[in-house]
Amino acid sequence: VFLGAVIEVASFGLARGAVFALLALGLVLIYRTTGVTNFAHWGVGLMGLVAYFLLTEKASMASPLAAAFAVAACAAVGALAYRVVFRHVKRTNQIVLILIALGVAQFFAAVAAMGLGFESTTVVQAWLPVSQVNIGDSAVFSTQIIAAAAAIGIGLAFLPWFRYSRTGRALRAVAQNREAASLAGIDEHRYSMIAWAIGSALAGLALLLVVPHSAGGSGGVITSVDTTPFGNFLIPAFGAALVGGLVNLPLAIVGGFVFGLAQEMLILAPTPWRTLRSIIAAIMIVALLLLHTERFFVAKAEQEALEA
Amino acid sequence: VRSILAPPAEAALAEAAAPSARLSLVMPRLERRQIALGSIMLGLGCIPFGFGRQGVFLGAYIAVWAMLELSIVVVSGYAGLISLMPFSYVGIGVFATGVATSLWGWPFWLALPFAALATVPVSIAVGAASIRLKGLYLAIATLTFSNAMGETLFKWDAFTGGQAGHTIERPAFGPIDFSGGKGFYVISMLTALALVWMVHGLKRSKAGRAMLAVRDNEREAQALGINATKAKLTALVVGGAIAGVGGAFYAGLLFNVAPSGFQSPLVEIASLLLVVWAVIGGIDSAFGAFLGATALIVQQQVFAGAEKLFAYIGVYAAVVLVSFLLLRPGGIVQVVKIQSERIRENPVRNVPITAALFGSQIFFIWIIVKFASGD
Repeated sequence: VFLGAVIEVASFGLARGAVFALLALGLVLIYRTTGVTNFAHWGVGLMGLVAYFLLTEKASMASPLAAAFAVAACAAVGALAYRVVFRHVKRTNQIVLILIALGVAQFFAAVAAMGLGFESTTVVQAWLPVSQVNIGDSAVFSTQIIAAAAAIGIGLAFLPWFRYSRTGRALRAVAQNREAASLAGIDEHRYSMIAWAIGSALAGLALLLVVPHSAGGSGGVITSVDTTPFGNFLIPAFGAALVGGLVNLPLAIVGGFVFGLAQEMLILAPTPWRTLRSIIAAIMIVALLLLHTERFFVAKAEQEALEA
Repeated sequence: VRSILAPPAEAALAEAAAPSARLSLVMPRLERRQIALGSIMLGLGCIPFGFGRQGVFLGAYIAVWAMLELSIVVVSGYAGLISLMPFSYVGIGVFATGVATSLWGWPFWLALPFAALATVPVSIAVGAASIRLKGLYLAIATLTFSNAMGETLFKWDAFTGGQAGHTIERPAFGPIDFSGGKGFYVISMLTALALVWMVHGLKRSKAGRAMLAVRDNEREAQALGINATKAKLTALVVGGAIAGVGGAFYAGLLFNVAPSGFQSPLVEIASLLLVVWAVIGGIDSAFGAFLGATALIVQQQVFAGAEKLFAYIGVYAAVVLVSFLLLRPGGIVQVVKIQSERIRENPVRNVPITAALFGSQIFFIWIIVKFASGD
């Protein structure tokens, strides 16, 4: 019986971890190429959720198609956010960058509240096939397995692409040295915009994996917590990204699953630990921050460029 | 005068400061200005009395939010530490006051310094983190702290008084009773103004200049013999104490505060709101904090009535914030400075421009109200 409970909880943890991993991947990509600590990441993802809601409920589009459109909309919103706002901020001025990201986060949260029609909760339909899968004597939702598989799959496809493809190499060049990249004929603004588009699309996908399936078989619920600027997921996603020092992509994905599993598995722990879950997460994040993990992963020059 | 946020602002501010610096008789001019400013503020301070009970309540609300914004001015404006947990500090002030007045039976005046002192341990913890964490790392750490405090400290019933919260007694001072609406407005506005004066003075003091130096360039400041850790810690402790005092008045204003406002996600929203409006007011200016708080409360009143309108104001505030940060990082204070300087230089051209700037904001707000109440 205990093993069954472990499997059930672990599947929740994996699904949650997948969301953290996808969010963290986008955070790292955007931070590394453009130097923006994207506090608006959840907000951008919310735009995808709103698009999905409007397409399925108002335009009664087939839900998988609507999800695809929503992810594309997120990419466009992210690229637009870079083009309109972040492009004009010097990356050396970190305080301004953070404050602007907070403002943009607030903007998207407010737009999301409008788009959803000011309801405190909004019901959305599922777009993945929902069924119960029995593993031993424990029941697991198919959506949880799909979410975990999607995150791992995207991670596995993304990393070689980032390493070997032309665009991926250009992105890394911009991250490592903007001036040298420009001298080599790489348009830094174009590639920064691409990084924002990809990161934002991943954020949209992350939200679409979790929120429309949050109520099991009967679709999902967008709660008033979801429409806040940071949601419930952005802080752990930052924690996950910090496992790789905000710069390492594979470790951000690993970190996502670590945070997701830890958060859910601790439910099974004895009482003092169970209630201290958020404290444990906070200690983990602060410890990662204090370790300055980024120094293990990037060359000194790039680190200095990021901290400028 | 160095501005925190961007070089263009710096140049503009220097430009604004230049004419008075050239005169040798700076002091009398300043004093006359201060008297004028003081009488204007006194006049403005009387406005709430004209609107009855609702008016004085809103006046006190503005005073309390000004205190909360002042803590951000010290921590983020002066010392350049981005803290995303200001509202958690307020919570400590609120519930320390609650415990002291309703459980221990202390008078409000004793609870006030207690509320300020109660924030010190948190400030020291954040300060310890800020030694190694800069910029975005500190921002993430404080966000985490506020989240964790919401799950622990603000769920601790002995401290918060459970879901019902504590009932707070408003201040009385000997025979003078400040517990009525008008009395409480007067005492909180006086406290807020005293804090504005103190925070303004802090900027010129040795400790304040050390903070500004650390904010502008930490290594340079250390090379000049400034103890950066001490400067940051001072800013956090002072800012935290101000937030604690603000929390005490916040508790007094509302009589009863429920702990859920200090738990995630409401605490993040409130903290974000505080930071955003501090920037709009002018994050490195004590008067800016006051302006930011006034603008926030006035707009909340303009948009009051429906939750619906709150989303519109969120969009409006975000757009204003981003345009301020991109164009006038010194906030309203800087806009006022620059526009008044320009009017002095070329009144024919700049009076209409300033009027148009001001009018367009009124117009936008009017449009939003119209649009939002239309459907």
